[in-house]
Amino acid sequence: EKHLVLLRDGRTLIGFLRSIDQFANLVLHQTVERIHVGKKYGDIPRGIFVVRGENVVLLGEIDLEKESDTPLQQVSIEEILEEQRVELQAKQESEKLKVQALKERGLSVPRADTLDEY
Amino acid sequence: GSPSADDDWQEAHERLAELEDKPVSNRERDGGADDDTDLLGDPEDALAERLTRLVIDSELEDPAIMQAVQTRGPTQVGERSWWGCCRPSRCLADSLSLLQQPGGLNSSIWDSSAVLQRIRGPLLAQEMPSVSVLDYALPQRPPQPREEERDPSERVLPRRSSSPVIGSPPVRAVPIGTPPKQAAVPSFNQQILCPKPVHIRAPMQQRYPAPYGERMSPNHLCNVPNSSLLGHPFPHSVSPVLTHLQRAQLLGGAQVKLPSLPSCIFLAASCAGRMSPSQFARVSGLVGSPLPSVSPKLLQGRVGQMMPPASGFRAFFGAPPAPPPSQPQHPLGPGSHLQNLRPQPQMFRPDTTHLHPQHRRLLHQRQQQNRNQHRSLNGSTGDRGGHRSSHQEQMRKDPYANLMLQREKDWVSKIQMMQLQSTDPYLDDYYYQNYFQKLEKLSAAEEVQGEGPKKERTKLITPQVAKLEHTYKPVQFEGSLGKLTVSSVNNPRKMIDAVVTSRSEDDETKEKQVRDKRRQTLVTIEKTYSLLLDVEDYERRYLLSLEGERPALMGERKQKICDIYDNLRGKVPGQERPSDDHFVQIMCIRKGKRLLARILPFLSPEQAADVLTVTARNLPFLIKKDAQDEVLPCLLRPFSHVLYHLPLGTVTSLVQQLTNLPQSASAPANPHLTAVLQNKFGLSLLYLVLSRGEELQSSDANTELMQDNQWTELMLMATRELLRIPQVTLAKPVSTPSNLISLFSRYVDQQKLNLLETKL
Repeated sequence: EKHLVLLRDGRTLIGFLRSIDQFANLVLHQTVERIHVGKKYGDIPRGIFVVRGENVVLLGEIDLEKESDTPLQQVSIEEILEEQRVELQAKQESEKLKVQALKERGLSVPRADTLDEY
Repeated sequence: GSPSADDDWQEAHERLAELEDKPVSNRERDGGADDDTDLLGDPEDALAERLTRLVIDSELEDPAIMQAVQTRGPTQVGERSWWGCCRPSRCLADSLSLLQQPGGLNSSIWDSSAVLQRIRGPLLAQEMPSVSVLDYALPQRPPQPREEERDPSERVLPRRSSSPVIGSPPVRAVPIGTPPKQAAVPSFNQQILCPKPVHIRAPMQQRYPAPYGERMSPNHLCNVPNSSLLGHPFPHSVSPVLTHLQRAQLLGGAQVKLPSLPSCIFLAASCAGRMSPSQFARVSGLVGSPLPSVSPKLLQGRVGQMMPPASGFRAFFGAPPAPPPSQPQHPLGPGSHLQNLRPQPQMFRPDTTHLHPQHRRLLHQRQQQNRNQHRSLNGSTGDRGGHRSSHQEQMRKDPYANLMLQREKDWVSKIQMMQLQSTDPYLDDYYYQNYFQKLEKLSAAEEVQGEGPKKERTKLITPQVAKLEHTYKPVQFEGSLGKLTVSSVNNPRKMIDAVVTSRSEDDETKEKQVRDKRRQTLVTIEKTYSLLLDVEDYERRYLLSLEGERPALMGERKQKICDIYDNLRGKVPGQERPSDDHFVQIMCIRKGKRLLARILPFLSPEQAADVLTVTARNLPFLIKKDAQDEVLPCLLRPFSHVLYHLPLGTVTSLVQQLTNLPQSASAPANPHLTAVLQNKFGLSLLYLVLSRGEELQSSDANTELMQDNQWTELMLMATRELLRIPQVTLAKPVSTPSNLISLFSRYVDQQKLNLLETKL
């Protein structure tokens, strides 16, 4: 009954799917936002979510038995947020370097978020 | 007329006053006979009664209700009240009291509303809707004659055999002893589209009771039932609506005139911009009667006048999701899917044909598990006890489950399946079809090998609908002159007037010419590709078609092949084909080469030979052009197939072309041959040709081959050349045919043969 929803912005929500419609708008109950960094993950309880269909990437049911055996390690919220920030920073750094290198060679790659729409 | 109305009003008012004065004695007495004289003594009831009067401001005074309120216990009243919004008689009251359930255990989201309402005055919650609607809908309406009102209240309402909580046994939707007064029915038959299928009932319920708890504004109450009704004006809502339709009838005639104002607004709002399953959801008789659907599931089986879905779906979805209303005893219907399990004998098998087979299996498994669980739970506790315990357990686990009715789920999946409909799946979803065909073949093969459990890899069974011809008829409005051009999906309006102007020849520069030529070639390739795809498809169509159509299909196919060939070679059919140019151009483009590879099997031998010859003739050039793409080797296989059918003469000429021999003696090197030999494709092709020649030679012992000097000469020269070329520059062929050695052995002596051997 628990479902895992992946959103377009990369967020992962886990909750009980209460309602759905033809646009894939979802109503999730007792939702928990799960942040993954490496092998660790952290949960943030969020409550009830109503998700607009166009932002849903995929939705799947969680097998409750399999949910327990996972190689991932759960950490506290603060920790995972910290990890996420660090990871984000690292990504940004590498991205900057890449763009720099490409610029030197005369190429320019459009940024991903501007590409997102199309 | 109004005087009479006033009189009635006054009368009613007097009665009310009377009532208030009477003592509290007859609380427990059932009010079957003495409806009018029953009384409220309770402070709570007094409050309720006062408030009732506040709202009802005239006629409808039903002491029976108040009496029923008393007999009903304090628990769960609010909830029941929704059900008992019509005038409950004694029986109703009795049955309601039977339904007392311990509050805590069965807590569901619906129950909480009851808890809220309990304190507020159950009467109001219960009676307000039924009454206020009437009032506010038709303020002008003269109060109903009291006889009418009293009449229905005396009729026996059905004994409620179960609680309206989710998961209880189904309630008979049609009350037993339905009052014969059906006159009001036509007035309810308004067809209203059900725009919004899904809605959450719980929050609504909770929301409204809270605010109006103290204030008891009738407007709120009026709105609540209406809006909730409209909030999910979904087919299944018809059922609760209907029952209350009938209940409302009990109240007397055409009191409920629809739609009342708030309902109108709501309906309009929810209609906007939402795809409505209009084909299959027409709620007739939207009733203003107040049924916030506490548990419409119970009445799920009754759809009332729900129109069947379009016939296309019908066939597909097996049993129609809505059993006809003629079966009042119908069990839960599709709702009995997972959670609402009750061991009813006529369990309606949920319609799951559209689900993926594996999914369906899982669902049924779970169902079985649940059933077993519940059976063990129920044991011998009997019907209702068992129900309740299993139900309680479910509720304990997840009170929020089943917010979506099975009907709603079906509706959504119907929409999704509708999108998958296709008249020609091979056209619309070619890769999917092929993929699953391959999978099926694999699994079939596996199965043949071993007796292992057959893994089910069946694909989602998508509905296949015959192609319907929709001739677009532009929308017409009444009374307008002529036709309005309203642009729609089927009739798009021209927005931009783009005019194609062809450039004059003079302006073009060389570059442009080249570019244009290349573009033309590309276009040719694309056109030829389309033809090719059609031709490849003919086989499948052939199998599907009827006998009579087949010759026509074959003819078409042949024609297309000819067209392809023409395209390839350049469409100058009149004279001898002087230029290979067109072909070469095509071959310069990677896609063109791939195209050729696919086309070759379809060409006739002569045509294929021709193609080969041209290729061989221009091979160095092509090789040069292919340096980047390296696609030529893909042609080897089809070429070799072609070669199989070639007679020696052709082969000879091929070799000639390939090697560009004989040459004038003066030329020291044979650039053509060199190029050929240095290229993988070229060399492989050469080998292929040579081996073919050898085959022919060896097979046909007594043929003119031996007498064919040309071949011999060629071979001699070829071998000489091969010997000459340093080994290093020789390319690595794709495959070296085995009979080459024997070929060469005819023409050279042993020494050279060894040399050759080492080289190759």
